[in-house]
Amino acid sequence: MSEVKTVALTIDGRSVRAVEGTNVLRAAAAAGIDIPHFCYHPAFEAEGSCRMCLVEIEGLPKLELACATVVREGLIVRTATDLVRDARRAVLAFLLAEHPLDCPICDQAGECKLQDYYDAHGRFPGRFVEPREKRDKLIAIGRGLILDRERCILCTRCVRYLRRITGTGELGVFERGVRAEIGTYEDARVDNDYSGNLVDICPVGAITDTDFRFKTRTWFLERRPSVCPHCARGCAVIVESVTGYPLGPGERRVFRIRAGENPAVNGHWICDLGRAGRRDIDEGRLTAVTARAATGGTVPWQKAVADLAARIRAVPGPERPARIAVVLNSLMTCQELALARRIFTEALGLGGVFIADPPPGSGDGFLLTAERVPNARGVLEAGFAPRLPDLEALARSTEVLIVFGPYLAGNFPAGTAAPALSPIAVKYLFTSRAVPDDGLADVAVPVAVPAERSGTYINVDGLRQTFRQSVAPPRGVPSEREVLVGLAHGLGLNVGEPDAG
Amino acid sequence: MSGQAFRSLPPNDASWHLEAYLARGGYEAARRAVTSMAPADVVAEIRKAGLRGRGGAGFPAGLKWSFVPQDRPGPRYLCANADEGEPGTFKDRAILVRDPHRLLEGMIIAAFAVGIGTAVVYVRGEYERIAGRLCDAVAEAQAAGFLGRGICGTAFGLDVIVHFGAGAYICGEETALLESVEGRRGQPRLKPPFPAVVGLFGAPTVINNVETLASVPEIIGRGADWFTRLGQPKDCGTRLFSVSGAVRRPGLYELPTGTPLRTIIEEHAGGPPDGVGIKAVIPGGLSAPLLRADELETPMDFDSLAKVCSMIGSAGIIVIGDRTPILDVLAVTARFYAHESCGQCTPCRIGTSWIHKTVTRIAAGRGRSSDLDLILELAGGMKGRTLCPMGDAAALPLYAMVAKFRDELERAVGR
Amino acid sequence: MSYAPSAAALERIERAIALYPERGAALLPVLQAIQAEKGFVTTEAEAWAAEKLGLEPIRVREVLSFYSLFRREPAGRTVIQICRNLSCTLAGAENIIGFLRDSLGLGPGTDTTCDGRITLVAVECLGNCDNAPCLQIDGVDRGRMTRETAEALLRELEAK
Repeated sequence: MSEVKTVALTIDGRSVRAVEGTNVLRAAAAAGIDIPHFCYHPAFEAEGSCRMCLVEIEGLPKLELACATVVREGLIVRTATDLVRDARRAVLAFLLAEHPLDCPICDQAGECKLQDYYDAHGRFPGRFVEPREKRDKLIAIGRGLILDRERCILCTRCVRYLRRITGTGELGVFERGVRAEIGTYEDARVDNDYSGNLVDICPVGAITDTDFRFKTRTWFLERRPSVCPHCARGCAVIVESVTGYPLGPGERRVFRIRAGENPAVNGHWICDLGRAGRRDIDEGRLTAVTARAATGGTVPWQKAVADLAARIRAVPGPERPARIAVVLNSLMTCQELALARRIFTEALGLGGVFIADPPPGSGDGFLLTAERVPNARGVLEAGFAPRLPDLEALARSTEVLIVFGPYLAGNFPAGTAAPALSPIAVKYLFTSRAVPDDGLADVAVPVAVPAERSGTYINVDGLRQTFRQSVAPPRGVPSEREVLVGLAHGLGLNVGEPDAG
Repeated sequence: MSGQAFRSLPPNDASWHLEAYLARGGYEAARRAVTSMAPADVVAEIRKAGLRGRGGAGFPAGLKWSFVPQDRPGPRYLCANADEGEPGTFKDRAILVRDPHRLLEGMIIAAFAVGIGTAVVYVRGEYERIAGRLCDAVAEAQAAGFLGRGICGTAFGLDVIVHFGAGAYICGEETALLESVEGRRGQPRLKPPFPAVVGLFGAPTVINNVETLASVPEIIGRGADWFTRLGQPKDCGTRLFSVSGAVRRPGLYELPTGTPLRTIIEEHAGGPPDGVGIKAVIPGGLSAPLLRADELETPMDFDSLAKVCSMIGSAGIIVIGDRTPILDVLAVTARFYAHESCGQCTPCRIGTSWIHKTVTRIAAGRGRSSDLDLILELAGGMKGRTLCPMGDAAALPLYAMVAKFRDELERAVGR
Repeated sequence: MSYAPSAAALERIERAIALYPERGAALLPVLQAIQAEKGFVTTEAEAWAAEKLGLEPIRVREVLSFYSLFRREPAGRTVIQICRNLSCTLAGAENIIGFLRDSLGLGPGTDTTCDGRITLVAVECLGNCDNAPCLQIDGVDRGRMTRETAEALLRELEAK
């Protein structure tokens, strides 16, 4: 293993070691010194146009850009001198001069670099008394994104992102000088599957998302990391939600999914599918146990699971392999799959354990994989064969069908699964989604979505990623792990403590 | 009649043609260089002559040439900067029109010295009409074997492309010039890397001003020692001084560096018209901080002007008469830089515009007492902080105007 | 309506493209050729140039909108560019500009006469300062303008 070469430099009097080839800005960040910047982004080479990251370098007469200065042995950097402070104030004054007073209605408020830096490095009275450049403010540039040219500080991150990362180049810089502005060409629109990252990288509220527009304020958001469950890449995501105030008491909503940073998996980006997954968390949820034969009211999930356990125990042991079938899915965590193995394969000795997943799509050659499930490798590791059941064969012998996930019917021609399985006496469905009235389940029990669970997924490259619950499930909704543990207890099984997840 | 005094520049007649140029010894230096000198010796001679760039920055030409790495394969480029956008400057134009072969000969020698095979002459778009002569001269030189393959029967070859700009002062900045040649917006690049290492199309590139290159044949022809005997020790040779404004004989004057400003204005350009006094003089193009009437003894060379906090720049001398309100000068300056800012970096993009808006308000009679200090503060926010030297070009003149004519400006603001 | 250059313009364009090691680098000369022929560059011409050079149209617009000499709107048959930088202002350019604008009936925000014959724009330094105040008529320099020579110019253009 080749050693990474480092150099020793001094930043604000502290001795810092940095990897050769790093720029001063990143070296400082690694040492806990935040040098303010707008146009620099670790995914691109230095742009050097915002001028916010100017610092003093010993031996050089002018201030130098931290983002564009590569560390060397013995470099002495000062980031907190009067001169540096003055330079930062000047950049802020310039930016704020031609910046609209939109904070009260701007979605970026609370996570806006301009605000944050003004608070930390500004705090001077504005002196611009001239007429501001008037520009268009509500430009729909595509994919639900809105460009506000008055707020734009021309950091050009968006332009560079679309040129270098997506290669689609829908945005450009037109005109010159203070008239310079970002825009699309004629009627062209931003139209790629990674457009949502533009909102993440815009340091101010110049590019915002209609999906988030005016819905809440960023300071109400709880931000928790998770792993995206929409394909096998397992991108790091940040789930941003509000529980309670300013929503109603006990009300919970996920407002946004943003890209988390994971150099080993997705770098700084996620695809738009992952962002749209926000809806799976809030919308169309099954929130209470529904039984087709129920005469009214619902029961707690524990009761439904206990009933299922009783129903399983009612099948004589030797007959269980033939008469009980289970369908799992590849969104289940490794821990849940291990539990399922202990219960269904080892304890109950079932042979009919199947996997029903959302259909594959096509990979896009970047992050999105053709596989649209996050843990197919986890399924294999747990010893399950990824096979669908033969519905007719299943209907002939099965007495109790236990299905995890709403994906079974979608794997067969429309409208055929439910009738085919109708002979089965008892059908339990554990799903997060509201159930269509197709007769596929006798009892539907709500379960949590991946963002509401903890566990481990194994991604397309075999990387194990463990995540924690990023948002609480609706009240009374268990995770699949809780369901399986409850089932195990109901069956009198000692399955041991499930892996810490 | 436009004044002129030339040591070496021919009149604006048929003297520009190849035959006339050959008749006055043209292409002899190039022939000698490519047939009998080592490239490194050519570089050494130019370094010995101490030829400094005549575009504005004054960087030693030979030193710049020596920065081009000689140890790697691939193309190299030479760019002759004929963007001449610095207000008050019209010397490169005269070379293009009167002595285009001299420029070409200088380019041939420079290209030979550095191992360059392709040269681009970047001509500002406004000179497209007059550049016909340059294009004709290229054709003449090619036909006579001074350009193209096998120059003077050697293995050395040089192709010349004439590329026209399209109206952007910023393209006079060397990296913006490169961007423009590459078909892009003229936005300066971060340095390092420097063009000598990563320049046009990623290849090592030398960019020199037209007058700088036009000085090369004489240095090689007559020797560096001859050149160093002209002008000043640390700023040798003669320069083409553009003189305009409140003078009787505006025009070009080819004089040794170190000639006092007053001499140029009064002896050569005839001084201000009758009844007009001199209020101020801009010595080196609009980007050079102006000098008061009592500072005109300053010798016109790099160090002397630096000592009085100005610069020789493009040697564009603009004489401002005593009836001209300094506010007018301030207004033109502020408007020019705001118009020409490329917009890439924050301080220049917004600073130049803010200053322009402020000065416009003052000129409209709505000035405030704090405006002058504000202008200085804004200039301070740009000076030394921008991606390219245009930030300084926009800021430094303002300091001089406000500092040296504070009373007059305060009265104008208070009006 | 789509754009197609004349044979002469196309030849000029092809010659320009051949000079540059990268096709896209020929964008400025291509736009200059298009504008020389048509007087300005339409969106269709932009698209044509983009395709010709293997560039995205947005890159063409970026360049077109950056440089002052390019026009995206038609100009008058005659384009007068009059300098208003320092030496020319010192020599009275503002008066000449004012006189010409008034004579041509150009109101604020309009640079082209109603009949579309003449466009008058005030520009920055043309590099002809010893002949201040100066201007260019369709790229041809004319200097030492006075009220009289400005009037003569107008008559000259009238006769054209």
